[in-house]
Amino acid sequence: MTRVLTWLGLVVFLLLILVPFWWIASMSFKTYEQIQFAVSIYVPHPFTWENYTGLWTDTRFPLWLRNSLVTALVVTLITSVVASLGGYAVARLRFPGREAVASLILILYLIPPALLFIPLYRVLTELGATNGLSALFLSYPTFTVPFCTWLLIGFFKALPEELEEAALIDGAGRVTAFVRVLLPLAAPGLVASAIFAFTLSWNEFLYALVFITDETRITVPVGLNLLIYGDVFHWGQLMAASVITTIPVVALYIFIHRWMAEGLVAGSVKG
Amino acid sequence: MSARSRRRIGARGREAGTALLFLLPLFVLVVGLIIYPFYRAIWLSLTDKLVGYPERFVGIRNYTYLAQDDAFQQVIWNSMVFTVASVALKVVTGLAMALVLNNVIRGRNFLRGLFLLPWITSTVIIALTWRWMFDAFPGRGFLNSFLLDVGLLSRPVAFMATPAGAMTAVVIANWWRAFPFFGVSFLAGMVSIPRELYEAASVDGASAGRRFWHITLPGLKHVIIVTTLLSFILTINDFNIIYVMTRGGPGTATQVFATYSYQVAFNQLRWGRGVTISIFVVPILVVGIVLISRYLLRDRR
Repeated sequence: MTRVLTWLGLVVFLLLILVPFWWIASMSFKTYEQIQFAVSIYVPHPFTWENYTGLWTDTRFPLWLRNSLVTALVVTLITSVVASLGGYAVARLRFPGREAVASLILILYLIPPALLFIPLYRVLTELGATNGLSALFLSYPTFTVPFCTWLLIGFFKALPEELEEAALIDGAGRVTAFVRVLLPLAAPGLVASAIFAFTLSWNEFLYALVFITDETRITVPVGLNLLIYGDVFHWGQLMAASVITTIPVVALYIFIHRWMAEGLVAGSVKG
Repeated sequence: MSARSRRRIGARGREAGTALLFLLPLFVLVVGLIIYPFYRAIWLSLTDKLVGYPERFVGIRNYTYLAQDDAFQQVIWNSMVFTVASVALKVVTGLAMALVLNNVIRGRNFLRGLFLLPWITSTVIIALTWRWMFDAFPGRGFLNSFLLDVGLLSRPVAFMATPAGAMTAVVIANWWRAFPFFGVSFLAGMVSIPRELYEAASVDGASAGRRFWHITLPGLKHVIIVTTLLSFILTINDFNIIYVMTRGGPGTATQVFATYSYQVAFNQLRWGRGVTISIFVVPILVVGIVLISRYLLRDRR
């Protein structure tokens, strides 16, 4: 009885998860006519790459992809530096107000971007940073840094204290001990945190939509949104763009999925 | 041991200095780009700021206006329906998913990873995906294609054209994206419930249903509360799914806090009022954050 229910449940969940993905992927390999006349519904037949090549040559998608990549890399770099320093300080150093800082980081992590986009826009305008990727370099760390710091606090806390103590007794300063001993030990945590920062930036939509209007400077999610509401009938290209955009995230995720599932139960990812 | 503690006391002042140095970038970021904008938000909500005009202080007029605004009443109602319906669905489906995976021995890790795919995919792509799933045009809309193909429909239906249909569609998209996260969290909780409890209950003749009710659910209480609160905060502030799928329409049928705030601020250019809309969410947010912090900070100690 349990076996039957388990199998049944498994099939239902597999269909539920895979059908929407399959629908998008299959449409990205259909011709305009196949979509228009609803032929070869489930499997594209004949199979075509024209949407992918068209996307590359006829649209600004490559440019958007580049913008997304640059943004995600810069934000990941900023986040890794700020979050590893902060995470280490909260996890390992004794100073007054340490618990308060830890609570503050958690609270900041829980603040949704939808709360701050209007005043942040004003602040960025005053800094002269709107309508360019620099707006995103500045605004994305507001959600990646609290999350990654929170993640790294847990990571640094779990490392054995003795190694660092030994380095300190040998005469190394805190900074040297941090760079030489703790950072290499925390490498898996840093990689995970970097992947999260990258993914959060890669997928972000609201700030990019609000802060940037120039079509050559937008990121992929905003570009996709433009394509769907534009007077474009290249449905297949839109699907192809969705597939391409999802691939890097899935590739990175394969590295960390086990850790993500078993690690922080609550609040592994924000989105 | 004594050398260690002596060193500690001597180094305490220096440690605080190092901590300050290490935390400095974080503080600059937090103060400059979170706390200061938040302060600006409060100030803006007390002005009649229109884009292109200087702001004038109007006291709480934005708040009183919204409190009486019919459209905003609709927004509050929509946000509640959207949030409660999708979070409730996520809890139920998440439990079912965890129960199923808990019975799978071989390939569990693989399936768990596969099921989490919606959770890591960009919300914009998920919103686009479900827009196409429900699309009225059969070539693009999976539901129409499928139901016409198997003969359950005789002509295409515009699922998202009615207020109820549009709300259902956005709830489903939001639910589909997040229920795997619930499932995986609940699974982690289930795995940590001691097996002896189930064995003892079986010996006492408890049925599967009673074991679920009296052992599994109480054992998952903590993780259910944390994930539900977290999801509640994120869902009530959702922008991406609704904006991409319906733009808040048809009419104002799916307009929620974040999309309405965006519309008022960037389409009507009323920044003061737009900001006030997001500030209305703050009390709910504070309650949620306080509750979650309690649980999560307790875990960390």
